[in-house]
Amino acid sequence: MSEKNPNLSEYVLETRDICKYYGSLKANDHISLKVKRNTIHAIVGENGAGKSTLMGILTDTVKPDYGDIILNGEKVVFKNPMDAARHGIGMIYQEFMLAPNFSVFENIIVGFEEKNGAFIDYKKSREKVERICHDYGFNLPLDDLINELPVAMLQQIEIVKVLYRGADLIIMDEPTSTLTPQGIEGLFQAMRVLKESGKTILFITHKLKEVFEVSDEISVLRLGKYVGTYSPDSLDQQKLANLMVGREVILQANKKPGELGETILSVKNLSVVDEDNIQRLKNVSFDIHAGEILGIAGVAGSGQQYLVKTIFGLNKAAEGSKIEYLGEDITNSSPRENRAKHIGYVPQDRMGMGCDTRSSIWENAIMGYHRAHGFNPKWLINHKEANAFTDKVVDDFAVKVQSINNNVGSLSGGNVQKLIVGREFSQDNKLLLIEDPTRGIDVGAIEYIWAKLLEFASQGVAVLLVSHELNEVMELSDRIMVMYNGELYNGGKYGELDESALGLLMTGGEAKQYEDFE
Amino acid sequence: MKILNNLKLRFSENTGINVARYILSLIATLLIGIILIVANNADIGVAVRELFKGAFGSKIAIGNTIHWAIPCMLVGIAASVAFKSGVFNLGLEGQLYFGALVAACVGYMIELPPIIHHFACIFAGGIAGLLYALIPALMKLYFKVDEVISTLLMNYIAVLATEYITLLLIRGNSATSTQSILTPFIHKSAELTPIIKGTSATTGLFIALGIILIVYLLYKYTLTGYEMKMVGQNLEFSKAGGVNANKMFVVIFLVSGFIAGICGAVEVLGVNHRFIAQFSSNLGWDGVMITRVAGNSPVGVLLVSFIWAAFKTGAMQMERATTLNRYTMNLLQALFVLFISIDYGMLYFKYKAKKAREAIGKEEK
Repeated sequence: MSEKNPNLSEYVLETRDICKYYGSLKANDHISLKVKRNTIHAIVGENGAGKSTLMGILTDTVKPDYGDIILNGEKVVFKNPMDAARHGIGMIYQEFMLAPNFSVFENIIVGFEEKNGAFIDYKKSREKVERICHDYGFNLPLDDLINELPVAMLQQIEIVKVLYRGADLIIMDEPTSTLTPQGIEGLFQAMRVLKESGKTILFITHKLKEVFEVSDEISVLRLGKYVGTYSPDSLDQQKLANLMVGREVILQANKKPGELGETILSVKNLSVVDEDNIQRLKNVSFDIHAGEILGIAGVAGSGQQYLVKTIFGLNKAAEGSKIEYLGEDITNSSPRENRAKHIGYVPQDRMGMGCDTRSSIWENAIMGYHRAHGFNPKWLINHKEANAFTDKVVDDFAVKVQSINNNVGSLSGGNVQKLIVGREFSQDNKLLLIEDPTRGIDVGAIEYIWAKLLEFASQGVAVLLVSHELNEVMELSDRIMVMYNGELYNGGKYGELDESALGLLMTGGEAKQYEDFE
Repeated sequence: MKILNNLKLRFSENTGINVARYILSLIATLLIGIILIVANNADIGVAVRELFKGAFGSKIAIGNTIHWAIPCMLVGIAASVAFKSGVFNLGLEGQLYFGALVAACVGYMIELPPIIHHFACIFAGGIAGLLYALIPALMKLYFKVDEVISTLLMNYIAVLATEYITLLLIRGNSATSTQSILTPFIHKSAELTPIIKGTSATTGLFIALGIILIVYLLYKYTLTGYEMKMVGQNLEFSKAGGVNANKMFVVIFLVSGFIAGICGAVEVLGVNHRFIAQFSSNLGWDGVMITRVAGNSPVGVLLVSFIWAAFKTGAMQMERATTLNRYTMNLLQALFVLFISIDYGMLYFKYKAKKAREAIGKEEK
């Protein structure tokens, strides 16, 4: 299978001076990149570096403004995304493109079915899918429905799908973001097998560790420009991070063990049953103390969101649950009441719940503050005070704004998140409920938010940190708990368990129910 | 040049786009208007002159314009309160009908001293509108019935129900056609005083201006106004920020219905002095169009209402003096709303992107 055709050029793909401008924003600015055949080629860069735009151009979901794509030594112009697929470019998206109510087999062949006249030749299609599974060592339950399968399996289906479509160059867009450490190892195995059998993989990621684990070559993009292609041997994580950001960055949070104070939040037997009568949380119990960061790790959808929302009052707790805050029962009290008691909330859905992009920066900054801490008199907006508060948030958290009267939509993702985090941190809150504070923002902003988070905890604020980045939980938390299937498991103190041990817990392996830490 | 640059700095991109939105829409509407006028073999100069004369040419003309501006302002602000908060109250027409009927009843059934009688009628009308708006609000809250559907359909119920109630009240006396299904005249003490003699430009103007001012102050300076706006902008965000969204939804609905009810009451007290079945010529929809053109801003509603009213009165004069039909103006108004609704921001950014592309192209050569 891995026969090499001597006529083929050394590079499977070459982009020449690719440009894509959105208004004055240069998403891709003369990107010239060469990808060697039969390699795993990592493309790294911060958010907004232009990775997604470039991949969009390669799969023809985005039309370039300028520049050429050279595929196997020949210049190609795609007519549409299907045409790109026919040229052997297959893309595996971060969000899986699978129809939940159809079988695995149907999802794989859709759009590229083997035909028998006007009809689909199921037998021939099936043989082809089975042959691919056999050749590449995938073991898929072809007749199961998609919505019954775990995430790691879905990714394998996506891979088989692009192989079925005859892809030679497979693009994977942040494929590890939804996987556990074990799932990631499985994916890397599959990637190596694909490479062995003659495929080329473009691996897009911002997780530096993974880059070094699996890739043969690394290309760095920064602010829409191509920085260079490097061999992993010539770099280390620190150097690569510096190349991505364009300056020195710290990758460790440098956490110091803190002094624990009084119990701030005490959750006892918290259960949540959702509208469809599915139990989302099962008898969850824990305490958080002043000055403590309690990190909750887990695969997405294990119930973390229900936990945070229920504590904050956006979701109803089931009978028998008890949430105590500073000794006071706050079970099922409203977000307004909770905010007035100095509980802050940074939601996971930044653009949907964390801010309103069509409102001004000051209007976004005072949300929550406006009732909980309020102005004088209580029912009026004191514009002077509102501006002063906004200026404070903007200054303290280094939010880059032109004017606080501009819409939040004009800010970059990192700056929006700084604004949201800043808003919640600037209200003398005693308890902060934080979900994915650094998802999808650039390294510089992550560094900043991490430092602020540790600073506030050291001043005696209790923090409940829910993150899907295991690394983030491990770097910041005094204590770690792992959520699996609506239950909480003990993940040990800071540095006690390593990544693979936590990963096992995240998938329900060798779990022991959390009881008490003391 | 320096001044220009300073100005540029102060205007944000959004303000610029909004100014362009109005200017471009106006130009486009005028162009089509000219074509229509020429196609009807009318003289453009004459048509415009008569339009202007009809709207502002004499004391009576100005009075008539104000007469129309009053309900436009009220129903416009009622619509803008709802639409700004993302509540699609399309039931203004129905709320207005109930407001008018109840105001008329209070006007002719009860005798009170003048000023007190005005307020009693207007308040009763407002409450009637509010109660009629309460039904769809509760239906949405408890049964998740989309308010677009419920309010739209409840308009028909309101128009016919008020007609039926009127028939019951007058026991069918002398009612031979819809036009003659009407309540008795209200007492003189309830009639609003004209501010321009011989026209229906009444003190209702001050009521309308007062309500616009209150709504303006509400949004600008109160936390309730801030919450009302934010609920419309992003519901989830507001909930997370501690806004009681369900309560806000009902409050917004009721305020909108209350103002619509007042609009009906003011029409009865100031113009007809009685409730006439099917009296409103789609005022409720004018409100929706006005707030659309005004971009849901109270000041905008004020300005647009006067333009709307001027078109209404001017068009009559234009029809009398030229070969043009007055519906030409209605057509142009609707076109203006359509042009205003174009997403100029998106077009602007597309244009910028295109220019940027051309710039690279040149660079490469």
